[in-house]
Amino acid sequence: MTETMTSHPKADDPRTVMIEARAVQKWYPNGFHALRGVDLTVHQGEVVVIMGPSGSGKSTFLRTFNALEDFQKGSIVVDGIELCDDVRRIDAIRREVGMVFQQFNLFPHLSVLDNLTLAPTLVRHRTKADVQRQALELLARVGIHEQAHKFPGQLSGGQQQRVAIARSLCMEPRLLLFDEPTSALDPEMVQEVLMVMQELAKEGMTMVVVTHEVRFARQVADRVVLMADGEVVEIAPPEQFFTAPQHPRSRQFLSQIS
Amino acid sequence: MNRPQALTNRLRRELFATPLDGLITVALLLGLGAGLKALLHWTLTQADWAVIQANSTLLAVGRYPLEQQWRLWLLTALLSGATGSSWGLLRGRGWPHSDRLAAAVLVVFGLVLPATLGLTATVQQHWWWITALLIAGRWAAGRWGGELPSRWRRLLPLAWPMLYLLGLGLIGGGLGLMSVRPSQWGGLLLTLIEASFAILVCFPLGIALALGRRSELPLLRWCSTLYIEFIRGAPLITLLFLGQNILGFLLPGGLAPDRVWRAAWILTFFAAAYVAEAVRAGLAALPRGQWEAARSLGLNTVQTLLHVVLPQALRVALPATVGQFITLLQDTTLLSLIGLLDLLGVARAVMANPEFLGRNAEVYLVLAILFWCCCAALGLGSRSLERRLNRQSLRSQP
Repeated sequence: MTETMTSHPKADDPRTVMIEARAVQKWYPNGFHALRGVDLTVHQGEVVVIMGPSGSGKSTFLRTFNALEDFQKGSIVVDGIELCDDVRRIDAIRREVGMVFQQFNLFPHLSVLDNLTLAPTLVRHRTKADVQRQALELLARVGIHEQAHKFPGQLSGGQQQRVAIARSLCMEPRLLLFDEPTSALDPEMVQEVLMVMQELAKEGMTMVVVTHEVRFARQVADRVVLMADGEVVEIAPPEQFFTAPQHPRSRQFLSQIS
Repeated sequence: MNRPQALTNRLRRELFATPLDGLITVALLLGLGAGLKALLHWTLTQADWAVIQANSTLLAVGRYPLEQQWRLWLLTALLSGATGSSWGLLRGRGWPHSDRLAAAVLVVFGLVLPATLGLTATVQQHWWWITALLIAGRWAAGRWGGELPSRWRRLLPLAWPMLYLLGLGLIGGGLGLMSVRPSQWGGLLLTLIEASFAILVCFPLGIALALGRRSELPLLRWCSTLYIEFIRGAPLITLLFLGQNILGFLLPGGLAPDRVWRAAWILTFFAAAYVAEAVRAGLAALPRGQWEAARSLGLNTVQTLLHVVLPQALRVALPATVGQFITLLQDTTLLSLIGLLDLLGVARAVMANPEFLGRNAEVYLVLAILFWCCCAALGLGSRSLERRLNRQSLRSQP
């Protein structure tokens, strides 16, 4: 594995480290060994795309960063806070880490605007008027401010996912995680969501994205991570990864998706 | 096409579309007609309604002291005013067709029913005032409710619990009012007190039990499951007898409630187990993603429950829960078996009176109608609540 990690940043890299995962291992309760010692470092402002065949553990790995999944061995430090069982520490991390899901997971009983303002008012104790102003700005940025008073069920999938992104941004996170954000969308709606993500990347948001969108990975990612069978197989800049993959497993994966 | 013709067409389409449909329609019409005719014949010629007229007060309030009954009239008036105001606030200024119909039915009932039942002139007038108050509340709240400051409007839902406590105070006495002990409550009054208390308390208790059953703490989960399964496995009447006997031993002398409240608590504990199962179904219907989304936004467990999970789960659980409330209301008739004078208990006492021997059918019919009215009100309320909630969001779920 080590010879493929040539693009791994050196220890004297001056940029701030956002995620530092070391030898992470996870077993599911049924005994399945989902993560077999995974290492990854993500720096501030970086966009890292994780790819891999289904069942490779990429979503599981992503979900350990905000403690939606636990792990049994290794260590993960997110934004300077080490993940452990302490509930308060986990809540502190979740406040700084936004997450966008495959199924959007908007709150169907709340209006679009209330979806955005719920967490900032409850968790950050900001005033409702203040949050609403920011929420409307964010909705305008993702292009759906006319829908602010509709309910999620009245929006298309693409619109719902953009609301979900705006909802995460409303907490002013230092890091955004995307778990297959376009996999549940109809093909014609994929682009509108990817555009929003590309804009975010340009503005310097730190992002870790699990996706199958090769074009997005090529254009936006700083590094591409290939995972297979619970291990990181290769980490490389997108150009190198897609044109000259080093590892046979990478070549096999790329031949399957193209 | 003119209207009579449209009506004929519609009748033909819906009732006589095929020969078989026509046959079924005719047979049903004949059966219904015969049944209705027999019922009318019995009601108007054979039945003797003196038993109801003579015992109307007993059926309504049991042996509640006569000179204190103004308190109950006051409470009824307050409730009717509050109902009218809530109705008006929910609907606003307009009077849609269904509201006009409901108001007309209420007025006719308020005017005609007391007269046909042969109640005394004072009682009739009381009912007129109460009906007038309901309609006036509807009109006034619809007219000016929208102009209330929003801060006041937010406090309005609190009015009902306050009114409930005030009502219990008015019924039971204290604070300068002469105290009327629970053993003197009876009839419809006792039935409604027991049912409303059990409904109000079993709801939060049921939610707590449902959450306990899904908790990650093993001891809490086991206790909740054990409780729910034990209660659901025992007939209510057994628990009522058990409660009358055992609560006295379990609690130290002064704390043991009297028989009426003992029964109310048993009803509450019983219904809570069933409500818990309804709520659990609602919780189970909620996708795991809702929890994950709320937690990943930094909401803690309590905030997630209050703002994300329960509002959705309770909406799913609402029909089953109200069904449970209706069952609970009907189950209060079992109280007559443990010697309480609820509606059925009073009715049995009336029927045992030699003066009205053999007049059981009249009494039971009135009982059935009274219970039907209460249950229909609960059902109507829950359905309109459901519609209101659905209109908000779930209607256009993809």
